Amino acid sequence: MSFEYLWHGFGIALTWQNLLIGFIGCFIGTLVGALPAIGPINGIALLMPIAYSMGLPAESTMILLASVYCGAEYGGRISSILLNVPGDAGAVMTAMDGYPMAKQGRAGEALALSGIASFIGGIIGVIGLAFFAPLLSGLAIGFGPAEYFVLMVFAFATLGSMVGSQPTKTLIGCVLGLMLATVGLDATSGAYRFTFNEPELGDGIEFVTLVIGLFSISEAMLILEHQTNGVTVIRELGRMTARMSDVVKSMGATLRGSFIGFIVGVLPGTGASVSSAVSYTTEKRISDTEGTFGHGDVRGLAAPEAANNATAAGAFVPMLTLGVPGSGTTAVMMGALMLYNIQPGPMLLVERPEIVGGLVASLFVGNFILLALNLPLVNIFARVLTMPNWILVPGILVLSVIGVYSTHASIFAIYLMLAIGLAGWLLRKAGFDMAPIILGFVLGKVMEVNLRNALAISGGDISILFQSKISLVLWALAIAVAVLPALLGWRAKRRRQLAAAEASAQ
Amino acid sequence: MSENTRTHQLIGRISALVLLLLAAAYGIGGSMIEYAFSSDPLGPRVVPVMLSVLLGLLALLYLKFPGSAEGFPTGQSLVRVLAVPVALIVSVALMEPLGFAAAIFLLTTVTGWIFGAPLKLSLIGGVVHAALWWFIFSFLLEVYLPTGAIFG
Repeated sequence: MSFEYLWHGFGIALTWQNLLIGFIGCFIGTLVGALPAIGPINGIALLMPIAYSMGLPAESTMILLASVYCGAEYGGRISSILLNVPGDAGAVMTAMDGYPMAKQGRAGEALALSGIASFIGGIIGVIGLAFFAPLLSGLAIGFGPAEYFVLMVFAFATLGSMVGSQPTKTLIGCVLGLMLATVGLDATSGAYRFTFNEPELGDGIEFVTLVIGLFSISEAMLILEHQTNGVTVIRELGRMTARMSDVVKSMGATLRGSFIGFIVGVLPGTGASVSSAVSYTTEKRISDTEGTFGHGDVRGLAAPEAANNATAAGAFVPMLTLGVPGSGTTAVMMGALMLYNIQPGPMLLVERPEIVGGLVASLFVGNFILLALNLPLVNIFARVLTMPNWILVPGILVLSVIGVYSTHASIFAIYLMLAIGLAGWLLRKAGFDMAPIILGFVLGKVMEVNLRNALAISGGDISILFQSKISLVLWALAIAVAVLPALLGWRAKRRRQLAAAEASAQ
Repeated sequence: MSENTRTHQLIGRISALVLLLLAAAYGIGGSMIEYAFSSDPLGPRVVPVMLSVLLGLLALLYLKFPGSAEGFPTGQSLVRVLAVPVALIVSVALMEPLGFAAAIFLLTTVTGWIFGAPLKLSLIGGVVHAALWWFIFSFLLEVYLPTGAIFG
């Protein structure tokens, strides 16, 4: 494979105009990602028509949008860590250990460490994109509906360990998410499911509405309740740089997260939400020997952060090489290319190497810009915590309302968000975690569609789910992650019992 | 058994019963989904019915082992917490007749006050919030926000 396109791309990305565009894109992207209500898709969708109407060439537009995308993946962590309100789906897992770190007065450290993990994940993802795109796109071709369904089973199997102390509640959360995913028009049969004759539910519950309701609204109510009860909200930011010992401790998690993130990103239809969940649960299985995950463990923060940034780069592989968007965000970017009459696909690298090369090179440069931009600005971002609640919380509520309204232009959607928020508050008070609901919702949609497509292909023969090598490997992995911890736990308990019996005999 | 543990168990059991009812309602609703044609063997009913059975079984397990809960606020604390969604409902209801800026002014002023700011500061905060968010979204980002039937 020739890498001429890459050198050509660096020539384009390193012109002062494109560097400036990259810098602006990274800054806007970080802000967009940090705002709980906006997220990368909305940010790119808002900027795309502006870039086109400004008359920017195609490669500069792609550089701008890719910079916004990467910036948003960085920015998504800020509200996750500081407010426990994920900026987007990929940042849900970041809150699991990032927010407890902030509550312990280590907000600055958490932001700096996640910036480093994001940088490493982003760079590894771009290297993967540049060097392994043809190979990995070949693997992605092998994924049919059956393989996707089994991949989702694998993802759910890994979820079992996510919120350890109350597994029944975790599973109930997953099922509630799956149930919410069934609302709306069923594309296969044309049947309306659980819409209560409300036309606005015809398209189902939008992700933005669900995530903002569950996290933002319920969090605002919890903050008020804790304030009323006299619980002091921790406002200590701690040191503003990452400790070298934490960087070293989390390096394995960062590298594993980057690898998982890139692979998941390459698979069309999956995205940062899946990769961060898989990387977090994988890391928990490997590293959480002392039960510190969920209580501010740096490895639980680094793994999903590295993963979601690597996913952003990986998602470009199927888009550029197959013309199949790897995520919702790359689907919007594919639309941007088509605005310029450029058709992504196998011929893109041959016909328009400057587009692919410029994009890959700009992602490299963008990650350095983001590191340079984010580490010094950690202090400013962390200062959000020092704002009094009477300014901060109304601001979050306004962003929530705008975020939902701008997506739907509908007052009904805001009421729906509010209802979901109230339900979320009740569930949180009853000891439920919100992440399984979100993940059940995201994975559930893909899971049902692929199961039904697979069975339609086989004429109802369920053996299609066990026929390919990919499916078999994924089933084996799913069984391993579901059964192995229980077996290991049983073995450890048995050993302890034997040791205790021996000790008492002596 | 402490009073606290008993309260948490009660919360768990009530939650489990609510989930059982939800599972039953969802299952009945799922089995009644009407469709004329489906090209796949499963159809649109099977997955909802399967999920309702699964939720029912998990709710029974939850009823048996309620685990721990955070517990609900009572009295004045509950009133203040519920004032947040009420303020949101009123503000959103006024968004179309009065416009986005006026609704946001109302929302941020009231919630600022609920969150402990003196009334004067809440009013100033409300004006700043309304102006700032209007400028950013409507002017800079060109996001459509209602101007209001009365003032628009």
